[in-house]
Amino acid sequence: MGSDMSYTRWFVITLLLGLVSLPARADFQVFACEPEWASLVREFLPDARITTATSYLQDPHYIEARPSLIAAMRRADIAVCTGASLEAGWLPTLLQRASNSAVQPGRPGLFYAAEHAQLHAPHDHVDRSMGDVHPEGNPHVHLSPDQLPAIADALAHRLGQLRPEASGDILARYIRWRGRWSQHRAEWRQKAEALQGHSIVIQHTSFTYLLNWLGMDSRFELEPKPGLPPSASHLSQLLAEPGLKDVDGILIASHQDPQPANWLASQIQKPVLVVPGTVTDSGETQTLAELISMIVDTLEETVQEASGGRL
Amino acid sequence: MFNRVVPFAAIPLIVLASGAAANELNPDVSVTLDGYYKQNDTALSHREKGFGLGHTELSLSAPIDDMFSGRLTTVFEEHDGEGEILIEEAYLQTNGLPAGLGVRGGRFLSQVGYLNSRHMHEDDFVERPAVYRALLGSHYYDTGLRVNALLPTPFFWQVGAEAFEGDQLSEGDESIGVYTLNTRVGGDLSVSQSWQMGLSYLNNRNIGAGETEEEHEHGEEDDHDHSHGASYTGENLYIADAVWKWSPNGNAREQQITLSGEYLYADDLNEYATSDDYHEGWYVSGVYQFAPQWSAGVRYGEVDLRAPHGDHFHSQSLQETDVMLAWSRSHFSTLRLQYTHQSETGFSEADNTIVVQYVMSLGAHGAHGF
Repeated sequence: MGSDMSYTRWFVITLLLGLVSLPARADFQVFACEPEWASLVREFLPDARITTATSYLQDPHYIEARPSLIAAMRRADIAVCTGASLEAGWLPTLLQRASNSAVQPGRPGLFYAAEHAQLHAPHDHVDRSMGDVHPEGNPHVHLSPDQLPAIADALAHRLGQLRPEASGDILARYIRWRGRWSQHRAEWRQKAEALQGHSIVIQHTSFTYLLNWLGMDSRFELEPKPGLPPSASHLSQLLAEPGLKDVDGILIASHQDPQPANWLASQIQKPVLVVPGTVTDSGETQTLAELISMIVDTLEETVQEASGGRL
Repeated sequence: MFNRVVPFAAIPLIVLASGAAANELNPDVSVTLDGYYKQNDTALSHREKGFGLGHTELSLSAPIDDMFSGRLTTVFEEHDGEGEILIEEAYLQTNGLPAGLGVRGGRFLSQVGYLNSRHMHEDDFVERPAVYRALLGSHYYDTGLRVNALLPTPFFWQVGAEAFEGDQLSEGDESIGVYTLNTRVGGDLSVSQSWQMGLSYLNNRNIGAGETEEEHEHGEEDDHDHSHGASYTGENLYIADAVWKWSPNGNAREQQITLSGEYLYADDLNEYATSDDYHEGWYVSGVYQFAPQWSAGVRYGEVDLRAPHGDHFHSQSLQETDVMLAWSRSHFSTLRLQYTHQSETGFSEADNTIVVQYVMSLGAHGAHGF
């Protein structure tokens, strides 16, 4: 009985200490599921306190609902995520464990970018034998030059709704961002002329929106089915594809294992291009516009070298 | 039995007949198939030798409205050729109450310890550690109420209390037979490493009420009485648990190491128990997912028990080592090969065995915890 009592007393004391040590919080807390949304929020609301759940070195499909993320979600005034089932393996657990009424589904504090975009390849029928296919369509929409303005527009308005006192500034920053984006898009459009019709091997559909927009062909994938790691049998099947000799290179994201791409590259004598799948914390790719410019430049160089080699 | 079986067996038929898992107004349906071949019988095991079905689950879950979500999980089990259906979960959960509060009511898995609140199909080994099988019946679930609070601290800190009917752990007359207290903290050490630690206390009031359990004839495991409660109980159960996970750059898709361990201690076993009579056990487990589809693991655990026998106790102990290799074609299928080595005092069935197991997940696949 004695030990029972002391345990209970200890428990109550810890609880009270925890409540007393509540930190004062005045600032606006943002939970970004992926870094691209963190960078977009930062454009519109530079003073926001942002927690980013994933980095460009991580596969956003496979994140664990770990304690630090639950604590961050508990504090959040808004959660900005991709949606379209990209985070289906971890976001529901975070939302449930965090018990934060502001960010529950249906509340303005939960923003899904995919709801404001037209997704490629939605499926009426999906079963698991097709691999990890999202019925809503390809969720990797953050590299789409045409779709991003609509997402940014919705995000800016949502932030303005949650921070009415700052909504004027948010809107002004959004309009400036929109202007810069249009300039960038015109540059990319110009560079796309050289890329039109060229083909590239990809690992997963992460870059598909951008490649399609550039007019490039990305029908060869290292993954045998979406979400399954590249297998030896699939790679040798790929090797037998007649179209493969015309590709200019193999494009993979930083978080993907480079071994399968390197193996295929050595077989077909083509370069492997490793680029971040999303914005990074440092360097030249901290915003989506910088990232897309970097990917377009990399592709342009590769295509030039390839045609130089052919001449 | 027929009356109990038919209504639940009919649930999937109704759902399938009404048209589709894709219909957003229907609950998410998920089925877990678990089957195995086991070479020899082992001590304190819930799986008999030969071919067998393990923890076959049918689960329905959905948001109910913006306030509540709910879940029903039924488990199909077979013992000596006789089938039975158990309700493992039938609960409602609140979504986003103020002040970080969460309430769960109905039947659900208790949150004591690290493994107990997890579904069995998420486990890395074929069976739970010996100390869990002895003191918690592998996983303790019951009917009751839970209140959790997530404190607004910069790191993760959760406190919670549960009250249960208690009959799933040991039979008794108390209307609230079990209550539990639990606290859990956790965080990240770096981008690659994260951790969580917990302390739990479970008070079994049915033991304190003076009921002694005479079911355990020298602790022999030949009493397949379908009791899914714990075989060894005490009035007070204390659990300490810790988990540490590492993956390069936090990219758990490619590689991950998980180290976990728990210590369990139970005392006040019955009215004859002295201060020397207590149950105690622990395990440590290390699992290395070395490629997206492959993982290998080792687990060692011990349990020291005092089996009640009238007014005195018999000592029993079991040491268990498990080594396993698992291959997952996708996130939804796992094949596992495991070797278990047991050495014992006071258990007649202890043996070494090889087990081959599959765990397949059909339909909706809920998000996993840490």
